[in-house]
Amino acid sequence: MSHLFIDTSTRLQVENKTDVTILGLDVVSDDGSSVSPWIRESIEPGEKSKVVEEDWVGTFRVRVRFDKWDKYEKMIAVSCVTDTRDVRVRGLKKQSEVGVTQRDAGSGCDGEGEQTYAELELDFEGGSQYLVVTQDDDGKAVFKFK
Amino acid sequence: MQILYYIIIHKYDGILDPYRGRMTDVVYLDKMLMKTGLNKIFLLLALAAGVAFADPIPAEALTQGGLQMRDRQLRDIGLVMRGGRGGFIDIGYTYTPSSEQLQLKSQYGVHNGYAFRHHYGIFGSWVLDSISHFGFLTWFDRTGWDSQDFFFFPHYGKFAHISSALTWGFSYTNKKYDATVALGLQHQNLELASHRIYENESDSLLFYWAHARYKSLSFQGSFYRGTFQTLRFSLDLESRALYGGAGSGFKTYLPNLNATIYRRKSGDDDDNFVRLNWEQNLYEQVLYADVTFDFPDDGFRSAALKYYPDPSRMIGFEASCVRRHERAGASDLLWGGAIDILFIRLGYNSVFDYENMFHAKGTLIAEIKFQIGAADGKFFGHGAAKPAPMETTQNSIDLKKFMKSHAEQNMGTTTRDSEGRKVLHAKGIRYENEGAATTSSEGGN
Repeated sequence: MSHLFIDTSTRLQVENKTDVTILGLDVVSDDGSSVSPWIRESIEPGEKSKVVEEDWVGTFRVRVRFDKWDKYEKMIAVSCVTDTRDVRVRGLKKQSEVGVTQRDAGSGCDGEGEQTYAELELDFEGGSQYLVVTQDDDGKAVFKFK
Repeated sequence: MQILYYIIIHKYDGILDPYRGRMTDVVYLDKMLMKTGLNKIFLLLALAAGVAFADPIPAEALTQGGLQMRDRQLRDIGLVMRGGRGGFIDIGYTYTPSSEQLQLKSQYGVHNGYAFRHHYGIFGSWVLDSISHFGFLTWFDRTGWDSQDFFFFPHYGKFAHISSALTWGFSYTNKKYDATVALGLQHQNLELASHRIYENESDSLLFYWAHARYKSLSFQGSFYRGTFQTLRFSLDLESRALYGGAGSGFKTYLPNLNATIYRRKSGDDDDNFVRLNWEQNLYEQVLYADVTFDFPDDGFRSAALKYYPDPSRMIGFEASCVRRHERAGASDLLWGGAIDILFIRLGYNSVFDYENMFHAKGTLIAEIKFQIGAADGKFFGHGAAKPAPMETTQNSIDLKKFMKSHAEQNMGTTTRDSEGRKVLHAKGIRYENEGAATTSSEGGN
């Protein structure tokens, strides 16, 4: 019955309005141990991704991976963190405005190299959703649905 | 219609205002108060409150739902076996209109969707001779969570968890000795569980169960491959007019007690525990208290005060309190209540909903249901002490007498046409009086 008026999947398209490449968008678990890729292609500056439909309707933790972040020295750049949760909270100003964190995995972290990403919680209401990623004057990444 | 309206408004806002993170329910209400009359506000408030304060259900509660289903079915069967004859039917379907009402909490976040519980329980018996009754019973529950609601065919969303439990068996009741034995099988099936968010579970489990009752004493057990899962010992001391006991007096104030041993493992060790239920008639079998304790560790589990306007329990009201063992202190207690009016049950934080709807709290849960028991031509609700009062009136019509008087009334309704000829209008069957000088135009084929 509900399928008549409720969307049970989200068709997501991401537009990159920053000046760095977005490498992908994943849904991640609270502890960061499980990663479920959503947008797998890289999105060049000024480009849009393909539309990808997934069953994510609700509020989820999303990780947007960047190739690099030009002004990252102004960001909260954390190297080798054991508790990524702290990083997120510190980097998160508002729901739609988060700092980009950079993890340097060179010194004992379990990554395979340097990863620059932003993590935030987003509400997906189902149906077509268009996420625009921009950066503000302070160098923060800004995520908005249009 | 109001429910649909609420949801449409909700969706509409989402389309118009894509920049918002999440519109608060206060804003919903403001908008709706302007558009609807005062008489509808209470319903909307209830709906809004149902969504606003609802906690998402944890994924772990869904993986643990199997034991709950099986145990509830055996408890239900135990109550029906108090009589062990006649029949019983119980059908129910939970209804939660909003997909934000019983969201699912997984490691990734909060998913919109629907927790559901569809169930039936049917018992029927045949009279073999004047004292022996042979019965068949089947209890079925299908519960879980899916991204859409449904009647029979689930959506099978990527984060769905759907499982079912079927209990069936045969019973024999001997009226002379006031004894019942019943036994059968219990199947637990996992229909679908997304590997992305749920822990691994065993699929297709088969259990055996048996129930034996002698007068007010009963014993019930369920087993898995030779090891017990639950063992229940019940003492139904309260006297019930429905089963030939006293209708009033001190005997109706005796307690109903049952103790259940649950098999539980913690690591490799047995960590069994006992749950003790005490149901107590407080006033004329219309007001009951129902208290549950867990031994040896947890102590007080839940308490309910139940009021049935009639001892037949067709209609019931309850206030309840359950201890959730989440935090220590008073905030651990979840207070709630429920109204049960034959075809619908509305519950808010009630013990039953907390236990059977995956720890749902903070939301109004409606169940569309029908439940009735029958024995010896009397009707009663589940666990009732007395049959429903019934008024039998002989209301059959003496057809011959009725038709005759009707025909007599129609006599003489002859008219004349334009040429003055007599025209007779036939109406129905007419009985002709012998010797009466009437002309009939009917029966001419």
